[in-house]
Amino acid sequence: MRKDPLLLTQQLLAAGFLAGLAGIFFWVPTEAFQGVAQRILYVHAPSAWVAYLAFGVVLVCSIAYLRTGDMRWDWVAHASARTGVLFTALNLVTGMLWGRPIWGAYWAWDPRLTLTLVLFLIYLGYLAFRANASDEGRGARIAAVIGIAGFMVVPLVHFSVDWWRGQHPSRTVIRPESDPALPAEMQIMLVAMMALFTLLYLVFLALSVRLLKLETDVMELESLEDAVLRPRPARYS
Amino acid sequence: MRTVLALATKDLRAEARGKQVAPVMVVFAMCLVFLLTFALPPGALRAPVPEPRAGTLAAREIAGLLLWTSIFFAGVIGFGRSATVDREGSAADGLLLAPVDPAALYTGKMIGNLAFLTVAELLAIPLFVLFANIPPRSLLPGLIPVVLVASLGLAAVGTLFGAATQHAEARSLMLPLLTFPLALPVILGASRLTSTLLIKGEFGSEGRWFILLTVFDVIFLTLGAVTFEFVIEE
Repeated sequence: MRKDPLLLTQQLLAAGFLAGLAGIFFWVPTEAFQGVAQRILYVHAPSAWVAYLAFGVVLVCSIAYLRTGDMRWDWVAHASARTGVLFTALNLVTGMLWGRPIWGAYWAWDPRLTLTLVLFLIYLGYLAFRANASDEGRGARIAAVIGIAGFMVVPLVHFSVDWWRGQHPSRTVIRPESDPALPAEMQIMLVAMMALFTLLYLVFLALSVRLLKLETDVMELESLEDAVLRPRPARYS
Repeated sequence: MRTVLALATKDLRAEARGKQVAPVMVVFAMCLVFLLTFALPPGALRAPVPEPRAGTLAAREIAGLLLWTSIFFAGVIGFGRSATVDREGSAADGLLLAPVDPAALYTGKMIGNLAFLTVAELLAIPLFVLFANIPPRSLLPGLIPVVLVASLGLAAVGTLFGAATQHAEARSLMLPLLTFPLALPVILGASRLTSTLLIKGEFGSEGRWFILLTVFDVIFLTLGAVTFEFVIEE
């Protein structure tokens, strides 16, 4: 049997995340004002980074697909959107869990929070469209257009949600991610988690691309079978 | 340019004969305006601008969003309908075969959709003014530029995604799902401008929304013109 490098990466990654969890809970110092709740930052911030990375990849691959018509770009875009939505959800959930003890509410209409939610909705729409597209090639092309439009609208959504709440003093919250004077352990931990999350993203991406490729292969085989075995029993048609 | 006008005329003429899009939009917008104005406390918007009583401020903050939510959903219904009419009547196939630049196809279709949306707004906005008891002269003149710039943005997004969702399952569900988060800046901008007008009688510093809405219009008109060929191509 062929040795799968992806499997090895997954095993290493699992070990890395165990070490990461140990680091988060036993090694980094507890933040003075927020206490234990601040430790969720080491999951929250990397998932935000991966989400933005993933949606950036969707944009680039969508443009590349429209220019070349090569299905491989479309697989990567599709896979990246799936992964991005997953990490956006993780980012939103961890943010809310942190917000409850620190802000006193799960949800605040903070511009950055709202922007993340809108991004989540845009790419959820993208995935819903892909699931409902009736024709493979056309579905991929239109999905690419959605992927491009979705990313172009990000700065506009950012300004609009910022201005919408602009009159209200919602910015007086503690923002650990913008604090320049993080202790060294916290910085190292954050960078390590960023690296782990990026690797996790790449593994998810590779697995998802492989799955999409297999789906296409299966469909090709089925149509081949159709061509060879006609006429078929009615239940197959 | 002549092609664009011919395409837009085709949509308007088909509508004049078939009446398949605009009436649906108008009735839907009117229903929503009627329903949503129930949310406003009686007489809250009647007091003269620019010094409304303190208690009515919240109602005026909300009023803009109520109006533009109605317009947005009426628009989405219409954009989907207009693309479906094209597909069912095989006009989409004919246009695809015609030696026409896809950008012109998009622009022509967009102008047609914009016209339908404007018709819906011309009825829905006065109705809103009526139901919400707003002194007409305090709102309507200032609202004209808002309506222009916001409708263009809605039509730009709606035309692109109206055509895009035609070949998906559950297309009437896909269109609002895709349009809503993308059109959010337009909905928020138009709502804030409308509410500001109701509260202060002028735009003041909120006038910056016009820049954002204009940028939105330019981005999506360009994007629509450039990508329309990928959307309609067989």
